[in-house]
Amino acid sequence: MNLSFLSHLECSGCGEKYAHAEIRTFCPICQSPLLCRYDLDAARQNVDRDEITRRKKGMWRWHELLPILNKENQIFLGEGDTPLLSLPHLEKELGLFNLYVKDESSNPTGSFKARGLAAAVSKAKELGIEKVIIPTAGNAGGAMAAYAARAGLRAHIFMPKDTPFANIEESRMAGAEVILVDGLISDAAGMAGEMARAEGWFDVSTFKEPYRVEGKKVMGYELAESFNWQLPDVIIYPTGGGTGLVGMWKAFDELEALGWLENTKRPRMVSVQAAGCAPVVKAFNEGASFCDFWVDAHTIAAGLRVPKSFADHLILEDIYESQGTAIAVSDKSILESQRQLATMEGIFAAPEGAATLAALKELIKQGWVHPEEHIVLFNTGSGLKYIDHK
Amino acid sequence: MSNNILYIEDNPDNMRLVQRALESRGYRLLQAKNGLEGVQTAESEPVDLILLDINLPDIDGYEVARRLRASSKRELASTPIIAVTANALKGDAERALEAGCDVYMSKPINIRELWARVEAFVPTP
Repeated sequence: MNLSFLSHLECSGCGEKYAHAEIRTFCPICQSPLLCRYDLDAARQNVDRDEITRRKKGMWRWHELLPILNKENQIFLGEGDTPLLSLPHLEKELGLFNLYVKDESSNPTGSFKARGLAAAVSKAKELGIEKVIIPTAGNAGGAMAAYAARAGLRAHIFMPKDTPFANIEESRMAGAEVILVDGLISDAAGMAGEMARAEGWFDVSTFKEPYRVEGKKVMGYELAESFNWQLPDVIIYPTGGGTGLVGMWKAFDELEALGWLENTKRPRMVSVQAAGCAPVVKAFNEGASFCDFWVDAHTIAAGLRVPKSFADHLILEDIYESQGTAIAVSDKSILESQRQLATMEGIFAAPEGAATLAALKELIKQGWVHPEEHIVLFNTGSGLKYIDHK
Repeated sequence: MSNNILYIEDNPDNMRLVQRALESRGYRLLQAKNGLEGVQTAESEPVDLILLDINLPDIDGYEVARRLRASSKRELASTPIIAVTANALKGDAERALEAGCDVYMSKPINIRELWARVEAFVPTP
């Protein structure tokens, strides 16, 4: 039995195919992100979705649809299978009947970043890579440091100097070399890229390698499983680099190809950004295929301070295809929603997660969602990691 | 319109990538390896759009943009300039736009985005 049905890597821009056994970053021809492709016909014949449900909990129970070929390379710290919680008090407050939050704060290192970095670091180990580097606005650094420590890899992290203290400390605690940068995540990305090229570090920046998105896509598998192999009507997702949004849409494509969904109705994907950094919202409103670089990005939600994602065209394609939308919310409304989630439902969300509730309230005002629809908010991390910013 | 795109860039790998991408769409690529050569080429050749790397070995891209906008060749005041930079350091985008560039792109250059940006100013031949 195959551990994985990984078949090859494919460029999301020009469609060029690459062998998965080689170390790859992004497409050398058109410089678009590479995506993992699987032999889904073989997987359909050999994998039973209900058997996956009975397996030991965690991200790796989906191993046939993940890119690691040898079990010994799966780095596991408990990631995945986060709870899908109903929000009864907010339902009543907002006049809704089926409102949920996928609470990613229970992942190792307290955020959804654990999923992507578990996959990327595991694959790096499998490919014989010994040192990994990442630019991050916060949680990805802590996650990479933890998984690199577990895998025995060296880790180097570039963070904006206003990154939450918890992220800096957890990264250093796990043995990573941390450089604080006077600038944004894009500044950190430039420096990490230069160091990667100059000293041969493997750059696990968002979408500049093909594997983080594979870990993130499992959120989509878990959602389908939680809704008895159907999909919710609306997914409201905070968008910085966009790996989760793109990953979930990829998961839905794969589930459909596998024939595992009870029906093919897809959710409308809502990309949420902060008003002080909303390149995807601007591009969506203009009907554009790519984002303009957002000048003077600022927001309290560190994970949303991404002036331009490397995968902006994928994010936009998926929103358009899903008949979704993109919406910007103010820092004030993020903070109000963070308090509301905590006081009404007992969930101390990260600001990025709270932004999804702020967006939902706006979408209700616009009549964009209907009261009976199944709506899923994503809380991408724990508010505890941000308390030095209050 | 002559479909001439001038790329001012000292990195030969980037130059080759962009040349392949734009020539495949029927554009003619004029090449300059530094800022002064870029200004000179823009002033001596018909140019419909300029791709401008910011980190150049002589004068930086901001200065190139300022000189192009102030050139005695009057059409350069309105020739579209797309700034391109690898570092994306804080304030780079703002400085590029202030210097007279129309659009800012960060490297690595996504070819599909490049086509879209160029075609927005200069329709595919």
